[in-house]
Amino acid sequence: MARYRYPRIPESEVTPRELFESRRRLLRGGLALGAAVVAPGLLGSREAQAWQDLLEERLSVDLPSRELADGESLTPRRDITTYNNFYEFGTGKRDPETYGHRLVTDPWSLTIEGEVDKAGTFALEDVLAGQRLEERIYRHRCVEAWSKVIPWVGFPLADLLKRHGPTSRANHVIFESIHDPDNLPGQRRSIIDWPYREALRIYEAMHPLTLLAVGLYGEVMPNQSGAPIRLVVPWKYGFKSIKSIVRIELVEERPITSWQARNPDEYGFYANVNPGADHPRWSQARERRIGESGRRETLMFNGYADEVAHLYAGIDLQQHY
Amino acid sequence: MSQRTAITAFRLLVLAGCVTPAGWLVWQWFFGDLGAVPGEAVVHFTGMTGLTLLLVTIAFSPAFRFTGWVGFMAARRQIGLWAFFWLVAHMLAWMGLDQYWDWPWIRREMIELPYIRYGVAALALLVPLALTSFRRVQKVIRYRAWHWLHRLIYVSAALGVTHFWILTRADYMIPLIFVAVLTGLIVFRIVDAMRHRR
Repeated sequence: MARYRYPRIPESEVTPRELFESRRRLLRGGLALGAAVVAPGLLGSREAQAWQDLLEERLSVDLPSRELADGESLTPRRDITTYNNFYEFGTGKRDPETYGHRLVTDPWSLTIEGEVDKAGTFALEDVLAGQRLEERIYRHRCVEAWSKVIPWVGFPLADLLKRHGPTSRANHVIFESIHDPDNLPGQRRSIIDWPYREALRIYEAMHPLTLLAVGLYGEVMPNQSGAPIRLVVPWKYGFKSIKSIVRIELVEERPITSWQARNPDEYGFYANVNPGADHPRWSQARERRIGESGRRETLMFNGYADEVAHLYAGIDLQQHY
Repeated sequence: MSQRTAITAFRLLVLAGCVTPAGWLVWQWFFGDLGAVPGEAVVHFTGMTGLTLLLVTIAFSPAFRFTGWVGFMAARRQIGLWAFFWLVAHMLAWMGLDQYWDWPWIRREMIELPYIRYGVAALALLVPLALTSFRRVQKVIRYRAWHWLHRLIYVSAALGVTHFWILTRADYMIPLIFVAVLTGLIVFRIVDAMRHRR
């Protein structure tokens, strides 16, 4: 099967880069950015192995040296893991780091149901077993007008969905985060209607850019970043990339997502990054790249227009924001 | 302790209360940890401190009414000027650390974004109050005019709280506290004024 070539981040976005240590030396080549790395092997499928061990074992393999790519600097790991919106832990940017340890990720199971041939609840190790992992370096643009460049480790959502056989009526994919108010302090207050819900249209979910991520910087996903498994949809605002997923449901009708329910005038279903469609209360034309001074111009579809613009042909993105 | 000593002590306490946060912020900036986006932390901290001090300034009047202690009135000008200082610092931090002195964008955001407009209006209303806080000016303008002018602090605080409310994304707990406190202060002011009219 031909490997999907996702777009590199162009040279024009290069900025001075802070050095970082990656114990896996995953990012060998220093400034190498943008090129996809495919795992040399598949995840093992031994019985009774915790998903962490499985993933650790898989990540401990030195990944092959990549071609040196045109690049833009990675956001330092420390900034990625200390500045987060993950309201399950609280609304402060540092709350997820502070309270992240309270998230219980072991054991973890994923329910896949609705319009699929193979529905059920699956242990995460079974979901990961036999799954080819790769690293993808994506821009991440928050609706609050800040952004990062993150080296995710994961696999295309399409791979998982295909394994469960979506039916012809599967037009939308709903995702649901963990609901555990006993352990997650943010869920004791009704800031939003818990559990957090997001959704994609099926062709967005099946797009090769759409990732289920289980790690970043070559390591198991930190709790504050959405462990153990989260969505990454790089051309949409960050809130679409739901964290700590426990349930995936394929449905026919378009569902209402958490932010839409919270404030329908401000958060649309698509939530595509669009510098021309301002949030009612602030501008989306520019963004603050974490770790840089000054502001960058925000790119249409967060720089992934060549890959995804065709999905929205004929749709008025000013109206359907 | 004599009345005079008590007032001096209170004024020193107010001074310490207004300066300490600045010391903390400078310390955090150079030696501490303001997080991944220190500029944003400075903007938020100066704004929160300024708005809090503005409400405390207003609260000094009812504090005087309830206790009858003149120390509150003696320190009111001082704390009011400190609130102004913090809010000016807040605006400068926004211009420099958030907008990076990009004047066309600063202008555009001031015109287009409601929460920026409210913030600018709140601060602009405080300028005449700060300018008429000096004895020399107070001698020139009549007391009634001065008194009327300084009621603008309520309008400014209301605009400031509105500014805070609008920029809040989902969690309204802290803005709600500000709204509750300001409402209480306004209600007190109205009731107090009506009582004295009779």
